[in-house]
Amino acid sequence: MASIKEKFNQISPSEFFYRNRDLAGFSNPSRSLYTAVREFVENGLDACDQKGIFPDIHLSIKAVDPEKPDPKPYILTVKDNGPGIESKHVPLAFGTVLYGSKFGLKQARGMFGLGATMAILYGQITTNKPVVVKSSTDGQIMEIFELLLDIQKNKPVILKHKNKEVSKKGLTVSICLEGDYSKAGSKIRDYVYQTSLITPYASITFDDPKGEKFHYSRMIKTMPKPPTIIRPHPYGTDVETIRRMIVDSQFEIPTIDDAMIEKVRKDLGLSKKNFSFTAIMDKAKKRWKTLSRQVRVVISLMSFLKMDFEKLNKIRIEDLDVPNNTLSYWDFGDSTSKTVELDPESPYYRQLTNTVQGETLTAFLTKKFQRVGPTTAVKFAKFAGFKPERRLGTMTNQELAHLSNSLQKFDEFMGPDSSCLAPLGAEPLEKGMRKFFDPDFLTVIQRAPSAYSGFPFIVEMGIAYGGEISTRGIKVYRFANRIPLLYDEGSDVVLKVINDIDWSRYKAKGDPPLVIVSHICSTRIPYKTAGKENVADRQEIERELKLAIQFMARKLSVFMNKRGQAEAAKKRANLYAKYIPLISQFCTELAGKKKEPNFQKILQEEKPIENE
Amino acid sequence: MSKKSDKKAKALSKKAQEKQKTILEMLKNHGAKIYDDLNSGQFPKFSIPSRSVSNIVYDKKLRQYILGNSTALRSSKNTSQLRSFTQLMWLAFFANRLTNEKKSSTLRDIYYSSQAFAIDFEDQAESDNIIVDLEAVTSRPREDFHIFPEERSSIFGDLNIEYTIPGYEGKKMNLSNHPDGYSIGPSLTTAELVDTSAEIVIAIEKGGLFTRFVEEQIDKKFKSIIINTGGQAPRSTRTLLKRLHDEMKLPVIILTDGDVYGEHIAMVIKSGSANAAHLRELTVPDAKWVGVWATDIEKYKLPTIPMTESDIKRCYDLQKDPRYLDGIWKKELEVFLRLKRKAELEAFSKYGLTNITDKYLPQKLELAKSL
Repeated sequence: MASIKEKFNQISPSEFFYRNRDLAGFSNPSRSLYTAVREFVENGLDACDQKGIFPDIHLSIKAVDPEKPDPKPYILTVKDNGPGIESKHVPLAFGTVLYGSKFGLKQARGMFGLGATMAILYGQITTNKPVVVKSSTDGQIMEIFELLLDIQKNKPVILKHKNKEVSKKGLTVSICLEGDYSKAGSKIRDYVYQTSLITPYASITFDDPKGEKFHYSRMIKTMPKPPTIIRPHPYGTDVETIRRMIVDSQFEIPTIDDAMIEKVRKDLGLSKKNFSFTAIMDKAKKRWKTLSRQVRVVISLMSFLKMDFEKLNKIRIEDLDVPNNTLSYWDFGDSTSKTVELDPESPYYRQLTNTVQGETLTAFLTKKFQRVGPTTAVKFAKFAGFKPERRLGTMTNQELAHLSNSLQKFDEFMGPDSSCLAPLGAEPLEKGMRKFFDPDFLTVIQRAPSAYSGFPFIVEMGIAYGGEISTRGIKVYRFANRIPLLYDEGSDVVLKVINDIDWSRYKAKGDPPLVIVSHICSTRIPYKTAGKENVADRQEIERELKLAIQFMARKLSVFMNKRGQAEAAKKRANLYAKYIPLISQFCTELAGKKKEPNFQKILQEEKPIENE
Repeated sequence: MSKKSDKKAKALSKKAQEKQKTILEMLKNHGAKIYDDLNSGQFPKFSIPSRSVSNIVYDKKLRQYILGNSTALRSSKNTSQLRSFTQLMWLAFFANRLTNEKKSSTLRDIYYSSQAFAIDFEDQAESDNIIVDLEAVTSRPREDFHIFPEERSSIFGDLNIEYTIPGYEGKKMNLSNHPDGYSIGPSLTTAELVDTSAEIVIAIEKGGLFTRFVEEQIDKKFKSIIINTGGQAPRSTRTLLKRLHDEMKLPVIILTDGDVYGEHIAMVIKSGSANAAHLRELTVPDAKWVGVWATDIEKYKLPTIPMTESDIKRCYDLQKDPRYLDGIWKKELEVFLRLKRKAELEAFSKYGLTNITDKYLPQKLELAKSL
């Protein structure tokens, strides 16, 4: 067992990612440049979001040697006005892989650290240049680091570190990497454009290598509320997750070393003189209620071993065999393994076995999951065929699998908590879309939270028609957790739903100048592929999308009807104005009259009512 | 010019004038109605006999197709009808001018004339259709409004006519003076038929045979007027045939190719077409089809060619027509279907160029008396 673990450790996470960089989106210079931009911009936006700061993001890409043909080294710099990163964390955050604080269950654009560090790693291996990190957490002093990543050891190497006085908080990350802007340019510009659409409260500037400047100013002055971290929902777990959660809930038998013995002695309030076994037990009995779990476990062990501190110091606990009620230990004194019987009648017996066997099922469910109270937990235990007080540590693999299956099947859990989601909100989306597209018609909707497989999600959508929209046909902007999804459009569930709709039923025929914005927020977006560009068609998500689109399409149809009526009236009036005078002219001569009839009356009546 | 004929000419001229007066009066009435509608602040409308298939019925008494009772309302308020409404008004206006000024026009000419008035005919088919509308509303053939088709058929024989068209009023003509025949156009259609020595009218489908008949002096040999219908007889030719029958009391016989289309050419002269169900006065119900019959093919051992698929289909279509349910019409269709072969009029030349005039025609003329 131990030897296998050591073998695993021989590859550091950095090396693992270095070897598998394709997976993280660093397969070629074009893709890598785009991915690096994405990672840094999203980190900047996330940092601001979490602190409720209106983001000001400045992105710049400069060629090291503009004369060279692509692919060539570029300097990519992203500057934000977020909280910055404390000086002591900077080397680890940017110089190791898998460092970060984003492992809780809440909606975030991506995993902090991972992608950004991959970009740094990619820059380092393609150009051998360090990453430059400038961070100010107080708006006065800026810490400037130049770092390299030691891939084998997964450790940062600090090349330079200095301070500078500044007037603003924020973080600036700058890397040098091999890229291909001629190929990635349009993708990056699309990304910046669409990102500013879904973050209308942010100001984003992009200086591209050709000297062009793209600026998207802040369109609204309200921030969506930041998401909170929550426990998992029973529907969103599998056997492996449960196994890991159980390990967390179990209390290991503490290692009994000098420090531990010292702690027990201190907690019991024993001076050095009184250390006989019975004295210790007496004292423990009196102070039991004030003792910590760890100390209680040590006392319990001592009660069965009948040892004082001195003896305890010379053994190592080997195994606690609950079914056989035995406790075995290694005695350093005579170098033998010894066993003592555990008396189930002893008051310390439960303390010891409970520790090894972990929490009861009901305690586990209520403490580790969201939306599970004691009543539901007991109901569930009955449903699954477990005793509510059953200890998780005593469950076999089969029973764990049954537990996991039952969690999926039990339909009395309340829906998952959506407070961990951060949708943009209907109003900001509407304002953003109005400023972006300046349409004749606009409607947005935020659906109520829903869930698939225990993962909460919210669908937000908007439809804009006509006005300044110059594209023909339905243009769809897809977002997931405020990230634009630019590629693999065809296989996406949003596109599927939109294409399934008979738009002519909603009076949007032919190639209407129509823009649809779709935003899916979830703690876990069900991407179809590792590229994270297309959302899989989960039934629950599909349903929400469909309801949202239908709701908006009905409004569109009302608008189109009104407009259609106005247009038809206008057309009709034009026809009358053209033909009635002719009819008048012909019938006057036919009837042998000199003066034309007064046909103005009917033309007046048929004048269209001006639309608002 | 004798006094008697002068008197007659005056009478004829008066008749033509009266007809013109009636037409103008009718157009004026239609115009006045539209005028009043407009003046009273209403969208003008009128009703028109429906020309849909379901409203075309065969009238056994009249022995032709006529329109049933259903009518359609044409309103200028309906924007989908507004354009055609205006086009019809223009046509009535234009027909009024033509009739008033005694000027003639053709279908094609109408189409081109419309362009000067911003009437937006898309093609001649559309303007032709509006002309049919005018006929349906007024129950008058377009020739009454001086509108004629382009295609011309011709006539030859001892027939005296007197023109009524402006500039030729009172001028006479004998139609046997020119061996190429006389083209049946507006002036001939509107001319008065004065007198004739002929005792029969022979309508023949083809120009080639028409020339042969003139050369062989069929007009003299059989005291006949020969008319080339040029395939399906144009309206003006059918009108002339009718007038020869009604006014000159001449029997009409028809000679066509020995195929199903020939049979139908004869039928249209006799009882009209469904396309012109809105019009009367275009049929010669007593006209007789004398050949070439399907039975003639066998009887005269004529060289034949096989019928095409569309020939056969046409046979089956005509079998559904009520006019083909009895007599020789039914019988000959059945024989055609049995033979699945057809013969041209020219087939007789197998037995000599004049065989048709020397042998076949006399036999058929004799037979016609008993039909």
